[in-house]
Amino acid sequence: MTPSEGARAGTGRELEMLDSLLALGGLVLLRDSVEWEGRSLLKALVKKSALCGEQVHILGCEVSEEEFREGFDSDINNRLVYHDFFRDPLNWSKTEEAFPGGPLGALRAMCKRTDPVPVTIALDSLSWLLLRLPCTTLCQVLHAVSHQDSCPGDSSSVGKVSVLGLLHEELHGPGPVGALSSLAQTEVTLGGTMGQASAHILCRRPRQRPTDQTQWFSILPDFSLDLQEGPSVESQPYSDPHIPPVDPTTHLTFNLHLSKKEREARDSLILPFQFSSEKQQALLRPRPGQATSHIFYEPDAYDDLDQEDPDDDLDI
Amino acid sequence: MAAVATCGSVAASTGSAVATASKSNVTSFQRRGPRASVTNDSGPRLVSIAGTRPSVRNGQLLVSTGLPALDQLLGGGLAVGTVLLIEEDKYNIYSPLLFKYFLAEGIVNGHTLLVASAKEDPANILQELPAPLLDDKCKKEFDEDVYNHKTPESNIKMKIAWRYQLLPKMEQIGPVSSSRFGHYYDASKRMPQELIEASNWHGFFLPEKISSTLKVEPCSLTPGYTKLLQFIQNIIYEEGFDGSNPQKKQRNILRIGIQNLGSPLWGDDICCAENGGNSHSLTKFLYVLRGLLRTSLSACIITMPTHLIQNKAIIARVTTLSDVVVGLESFIGSERETNPLYKDYHGLIHIRQIPRLNNLICDESDVKDLAFKLKRKLFTIERLHLPPDLSDTVSRSSKMDLAESAKRLGPGCGMMAGGKKHLDF
Repeated sequence: MTPSEGARAGTGRELEMLDSLLALGGLVLLRDSVEWEGRSLLKALVKKSALCGEQVHILGCEVSEEEFREGFDSDINNRLVYHDFFRDPLNWSKTEEAFPGGPLGALRAMCKRTDPVPVTIALDSLSWLLLRLPCTTLCQVLHAVSHQDSCPGDSSSVGKVSVLGLLHEELHGPGPVGALSSLAQTEVTLGGTMGQASAHILCRRPRQRPTDQTQWFSILPDFSLDLQEGPSVESQPYSDPHIPPVDPTTHLTFNLHLSKKEREARDSLILPFQFSSEKQQALLRPRPGQATSHIFYEPDAYDDLDQEDPDDDLDI
Repeated sequence: MAAVATCGSVAASTGSAVATASKSNVTSFQRRGPRASVTNDSGPRLVSIAGTRPSVRNGQLLVSTGLPALDQLLGGGLAVGTVLLIEEDKYNIYSPLLFKYFLAEGIVNGHTLLVASAKEDPANILQELPAPLLDDKCKKEFDEDVYNHKTPESNIKMKIAWRYQLLPKMEQIGPVSSSRFGHYYDASKRMPQELIEASNWHGFFLPEKISSTLKVEPCSLTPGYTKLLQFIQNIIYEEGFDGSNPQKKQRNILRIGIQNLGSPLWGDDICCAENGGNSHSLTKFLYVLRGLLRTSLSACIITMPTHLIQNKAIIARVTTLSDVVVGLESFIGSERETNPLYKDYHGLIHIRQIPRLNNLICDESDVKDLAFKLKRKLFTIERLHLPPDLSDTVSRSSKMDLAESAKRLGPGCGMMAGGKKHLDF
């Protein structure tokens, strides 16, 4: 059994979380803080995608290469393509670098690839890049890299690209973080309580409602993931007891329901402004019963028979 | 601005718009159709442009925004030469829909389109436009949608004794078959390919037009904006929307759509920093754009992620520089999603500004609390109704919550829930 098959046959629950993070592609933002660090989750994702046979590029800026490779076994280490920008970030030693433009040049070079193998690019860390590069340039390059495969015409030629970016939330203001999270397809915010780490995962599929879930996990020393149930949630103090819905029609003094006979009578009623042909004919025909109703009136002494002559002195 | 004079005087060109506007407001009698007998000038005769109509208030030429409900709230439609700014909702789900309705309306009416985006290729945007609903299928689709999730007993139509049955319904805007001004679209289907190919459109995709190593001088427009303005100006000039090249074909409207303006993908850093170097870039862009639009037969829709803009003063300036400003606020992810007050709707829509064009007052509607709902096929805008307060065993605290949340609503929604105290009868 090859290692990749072995990885896929791992625990089902473990596969769900990492797979769901990697399956969507695009930019995956891992937001961590001082209390809940995210580099181990980043390394778990890197290990997962390496075992799945994807091409993995690492842009190491914040920690040294030895420290990053620590904990991976040799076959994974052989699959990682590591670009080291930690040892010599400003390129003072003027050695022959594969990417002369610094990390930005490396990212731009990755925009132009054409092979169909899916690629995972891990940025360690995105905070380091955000502090040294203008935010707009970084956003534009990240968007270009992560959206290479979104053209419907030639989707078969370029494989899916996932960009994993580790972002330290506390280093940046709300502006850059907001801008990056609006670009990200998946956003994982690390937190936790009482020693238990949790990941709040927000997936933004294009043109669909974003879905979010919270997953409690812990990372084992070999960077595989162990999903756990969260700590017991204490009952909320303000939860309402179940109130049965009140039916407003129960205690009325009038009748809201119609019996069958009443309903039939109502349906057969002809409304005054609804013209049916019979009603039209009835109105147009001269009424035969006009002679049946009479009004008898005895004129009173004070009645004014001729209303146009108030003094009654015209002699007609 | 192109004002249509329908009372007999012929507007020779847009330059004499002011003179004809004063002549046309003398009487409210409106003549239908062009006058065939007046030939006293050799300039282009006034022919009505497809998909436009004069406003009943001041004769301003209006185009439809693609949503007849929104047209009604804006006083008949969007005036030619103005900008419609949509403030995007937080997760950008509903504002692209309004954007696409605007473009789809342009295709159905045969207008020329100009689509500019830094995020998506304009060709992909055009592939996703909603399909128009034709007249005979319209009523059937509406009834299907309205009665979709109601219980079977309420399917019986009410027999109304008085003549109100013949009047159009005020709340839910149904298809009005007499007007061909606004069209209805089916959001679940795509526009047929033949219609898109038959239309005349221009696309502006920023990553293709700009090289990434351009140096930006301070206090000038970002290069992305400069290129976009030049592109728009070229199209307007070459295709004669500003009357400079006499159009041999019939006059047409240019519909411009700009997506996600102000986001970092356009090279603008107002979303990233509070006092960036280019904080005036966006406002300058809108100023120049408005000048281009006012002198041509065009209408523009812009979607902007204002919730990301860090400096609130810029939002106020942007609102002033646009003509119509509509804000979308969706309930996803906020605590309002579970609020029973809002359970039938997907979000609130705020009409923040309506322009006063050649007028002292603007045509604002008296309904200020509007909510929108994206049904399976339609995007509807309705007046926000408070649900009836039926249960008499509800505790005091939840009544207070409802009152608190209803406090933000305007007086049109009923004064009952507006106060903190409840009078129990």
